[in-house]
Amino acid sequence: MSNTVDAITAEVVARHLYTISEEMAAALIRTSFSPNIKERADCSTAIFDAAGRVIAQAHRVPVHLGSMIGAVDAIKQRFDEADIRPGDMFAANDPYNGGGTHLPDINIVAPVFWRGKIVAYVANIAHHSDVGGMVPGSEAAVCRSIFQEGLRIPAVRLVREGKINRDLQEIILLNSRTPDERRGDLNAQFASNFAGIRSVEALFERYGEKTEATIAAFLDFTRARFEAAISKIPNGVYVSEDFLDGDNEGEKARIALKLTVQDKRMVFDFTGSAPQLTWARNIPHQALVATICTVAKSMLDPDVPANAGYFDTMEIIAPRGCVVQPCDPAPVGCRSISCGVLGDAIAAAMSQAMPEKALAGSGPHHLVVFSGPDPRNDTYFVNYETIAGGMGARPSRPGIDAVRVHASGAANLPIEALEHSYPVRLERYALRDGSGGVGEKRGGHGVIREYRAMADGIRVSLSAERQHVPALGAGGGGAGAVGEFILNPGKPNETRLGSAMADVDLPRDSVISIRTPGGGAYGKAVSK
Amino acid sequence: MRNVWIGIDTGGTFTDLVLVDVKSGNYIFHKVPTTPEDASKGILTGISEILDLARFAPADVGLLSHGTTLATNAVLEGKWAPTGMITTEGFRDVLELARQRRPSFFNLDIPKPVPPALREARIEVPERVGYDGEIVTPLDTDAVRAATRKLRDLGCESVAICFLHSYATPEHEQRARDAVKAEWPEAYVCASSDILAEFREYERFATATVNASLMPVMDRYLQRFENGVRSLGIPDEPRVMQSNGGAVSPDAVRRAPVNTFFSGPAGGVIGAASLGVAAEVNRIITFDMGGTSTDVCLIRDGNPNNQSVREMGGFPVRTRTLDIHTIGAGGGSIAWVDPGRLIKVGPKSAGARPGPACYGRGGELPTVSDANMALGRLNQKTLLDGRMPVYPERARVALEKHLCQPLGIDLERAASGVLEIVNVNMMGAVRVISVEQGEDPRTYALMPFGGAGPLHAADVARTVGMPTVFVPQRPGLLSAIGLLHADARGDFSVTRLVPMVPGSLAGLKDGIEGLRERAEDWLKAEKLDKDLAIHEWHVDMRYFGQNSELSTSFNRNLTEAELERLAEVFHGMHEQNYGYRMPEQTIEVVNLRLTVIVRRPVPPAWKQSGGGESIEKALIEVRPVWFAGTGFVDTKVYRRESLPADATLAGPVIIEQMDTTTVVPPHSKVRIDRIGNIFIDLETVR
Repeated sequence: MSNTVDAITAEVVARHLYTISEEMAAALIRTSFSPNIKERADCSTAIFDAAGRVIAQAHRVPVHLGSMIGAVDAIKQRFDEADIRPGDMFAANDPYNGGGTHLPDINIVAPVFWRGKIVAYVANIAHHSDVGGMVPGSEAAVCRSIFQEGLRIPAVRLVREGKINRDLQEIILLNSRTPDERRGDLNAQFASNFAGIRSVEALFERYGEKTEATIAAFLDFTRARFEAAISKIPNGVYVSEDFLDGDNEGEKARIALKLTVQDKRMVFDFTGSAPQLTWARNIPHQALVATICTVAKSMLDPDVPANAGYFDTMEIIAPRGCVVQPCDPAPVGCRSISCGVLGDAIAAAMSQAMPEKALAGSGPHHLVVFSGPDPRNDTYFVNYETIAGGMGARPSRPGIDAVRVHASGAANLPIEALEHSYPVRLERYALRDGSGGVGEKRGGHGVIREYRAMADGIRVSLSAERQHVPALGAGGGGAGAVGEFILNPGKPNETRLGSAMADVDLPRDSVISIRTPGGGAYGKAVSK
Repeated sequence: MRNVWIGIDTGGTFTDLVLVDVKSGNYIFHKVPTTPEDASKGILTGISEILDLARFAPADVGLLSHGTTLATNAVLEGKWAPTGMITTEGFRDVLELARQRRPSFFNLDIPKPVPPALREARIEVPERVGYDGEIVTPLDTDAVRAATRKLRDLGCESVAICFLHSYATPEHEQRARDAVKAEWPEAYVCASSDILAEFREYERFATATVNASLMPVMDRYLQRFENGVRSLGIPDEPRVMQSNGGAVSPDAVRRAPVNTFFSGPAGGVIGAASLGVAAEVNRIITFDMGGTSTDVCLIRDGNPNNQSVREMGGFPVRTRTLDIHTIGAGGGSIAWVDPGRLIKVGPKSAGARPGPACYGRGGELPTVSDANMALGRLNQKTLLDGRMPVYPERARVALEKHLCQPLGIDLERAASGVLEIVNVNMMGAVRVISVEQGEDPRTYALMPFGGAGPLHAADVARTVGMPTVFVPQRPGLLSAIGLLHADARGDFSVTRLVPMVPGSLAGLKDGIEGLRERAEDWLKAEKLDKDLAIHEWHVDMRYFGQNSELSTSFNRNLTEAELERLAEVFHGMHEQNYGYRMPEQTIEVVNLRLTVIVRRPVPPAWKQSGGGESIEKALIEVRPVWFAGTGFVDTKVYRRESLPADATLAGPVIIEQMDTTTVVPPHSKVRIDRIGNIFIDLETVR
């Protein structure tokens, strides 16, 4: 504990940093191009100290947290600090070489200099709706290798002393099906970091030499706060398991967890989990970190500041080559759906330690990507949408209907914006009745969303979890319904599709129905 | 001569009234307790009392302007009318699906808000309009009638009609509205395209449903209020302040109660803007700090910025609103030590009851006001001109027990720390509203009002780097004064998602004509002179593929040349705001907007009665007051009313008045202008 810094200065500086991360987010959202970022807010911003520890984050999507940590680490590994100049910015997205969690999330990181040395980094992350690869949207459970998922970017210098490296940028743009949008979104990411750099510099000007010690003290205060939260649950070993949908229809893949709570620390051991899958359901390291940090915070102390101070109270053990620690080049594109199931496994273990605040399993979102020619304006379109499932119940309340769960958090796309932008028409968008588990407190309902193809040549790629294994109830509550993808529901040619499929033809006038899984219930139903 | 104007602002604890005789320029101020069960009671009492105090008869009243929190309270407390919804087949759950995000990422126990129309009262009917306004499925009016009967049987009082793409073609909604009225003439009805003809269905449906649910509540309230005003003998109908800063007839508010959510704060901002214009201060950020929350708003050249979406009770209500940013911290915010031993301030507030410890009403937890008390910033004996005794010892006990002892720090550090933390929160709010609008707050003056604003303003301004603080004469009554300055104002908009090319001209002109007709109907209904109306046309544009818009004014007689000019303006604005332009990219029109304003006469400026003879005679006492950098120093305390016009003072000083206390730190100078405004010029200190 840094005794030289008091609890007041630390809080004041922390509020400053948080304001800066919010300013960066405002700049990013205002200037970005794609609906993904603007309408769905699939982006995040953060500030790191010189050692690469997160010190402040504007919450948009929790899973981004892990990705940004990884990117700053990757830059520090690849570049000699002496070689980094003011005005430089770095890009990275690769889960194995750039600290990313999947390829569409491109991190842009910039150093902040004060009196000639790096004192901090600012970073932001935006979900780009296409970075190449075998499927439009660059994200499909059917990919068998990360090389099929799109352009891999290790930590590279994209801006040198304020000047964009055009050659490198052209490579990134050419590898996307929607290069104009990428250009606009990258510009927005630069603008966000510029805003952050100016404000962090001003903060150091104001607080001078003691700024870094104050920030370090703030992390110490945060750690102490989270240790206090951990010490409220009994020391012990808590074991849980849950399952991803496997490589083939009907298969499943185990996530095994042994949580050890001891002396204000938590150790999450995933030994015994299934080997990595050939399909893109694997969870890369940084996504594992982000999910653990998110669920632990939600369960123990929702208001603890999201920074490295509390991350340090947790340790992760995951053998290489398993579903939660895959090796290059295992595909990982759909990690955010898998992280929903992983989050349930973590919550289930913690629920044993704190039964009065137990959380039942949840239905993770499903992913659907439409692509094809839009005859209305002679363009090729890619529309990436995630559709929420239902959340698990707790002893104190039923599950929330139709929400993104655990580490995921992007918003949906309005129907009226969708139909303006792409040649599809929504036939139905509704709560999926009966999908929440039955119990004393029912599980949250999933969603039904049905699209009609309004043009020729449209194809759809589908990715899901919990189509083979339902979200379990807690305390004796019933499980939620599994998810389904149905082609032409109610018609003679009705077909149930698999939980992961690429490039399914959607002839003009055909309908695809997305039915997302419900959450588990809490407690036995009072009466039948 | 009906030369008496009255402004009434209803707050949580008190209703503030201000009366001006526009002939003599005399002002009378009055405060009565708010009557929460029916606010009109307290208001009517207040009107009678202030007329008696001023010795005028009700028949002398020429303007009665009212700021109301009725709609806001009804939403926050869920006291809206049972409401039904008739909607497009397949989409009744849009209201509940919302945007599929959790209300809080980390707090798993915060549920989505319960919509005013419950699921069984949301009925689907066959109809569908496409994105281009083409009718895909004709409206089944028999189904609308059947739905109406069912909603009536369910006990609904009000009906929202919410169809997809109704901004493009409102015909189905209009026919459905007529069918509901025909079937059930007493029902309150709101069609989504009437209240908000813009795209994004969840936001439009939520706005329409919340509006429908408030119509019966607002109608009954205004009925009581208007009857009361009439039976007092006041000849004209009252005016009600809207969130857009314009005051309108009770009937306009009956149709669109959602337009009044920020009625009270808007009064303060309009008051601030008018004072800024009078004092020739062109760039102002308002800082309205009360007991539980603080509102900030940026005003440029007398014009507060507008925005179109505000969250209300968890719903994204889209109405034109002055761009007021609210943070949940005020004088009553409670300071506490978190489990990591960090001091936090808020979000919990001691409110009016039990209140800060130093008020002696049973509060035992340390608040921001207690920190001000312990540091000598507030009068150590009484507040409100001697009407309210205070107990500094209780403030010290609360701080000692809850901050000093757990952390092992002294009282001075604890109390100054509480102020530092609350001020940095305020700084965040001021900076974020500035950055969002592409402005540098250091080129603005901070105008504090509300009971606690002037206590904190100089410190907040210094933290942000603002050079000047502008303290109006009656900071505690500025919202009520602002009501007297409100013009009549109506805002109208329509979505037209088309590329900005000559081929879109016909569709755009059609949209413009529709807005013009709506404005004309509104002027007629408001009994306003068409020839005095100022029409301001704005268009929201973006690059094709983007999802947020930039707005600029345009010439109503849209031509190809005007489109070309707008394109150039847009590229320039984009570059200015975001640092780049995309000359090759198609520009897309999103919304057309029309603001209609009919100016009202401005009331005479309030003059500080007399003003004192000399600075010396204004001195109340000398007491130790704490400031950053100096610690406790003996500081002169002056009575504001007794300070002469044009006086100058050097900080540190404290200036007390009935409704507030102004803190002037060291390294600053005070100027008092001819009408009694205080300006604090802050030197830069490290």
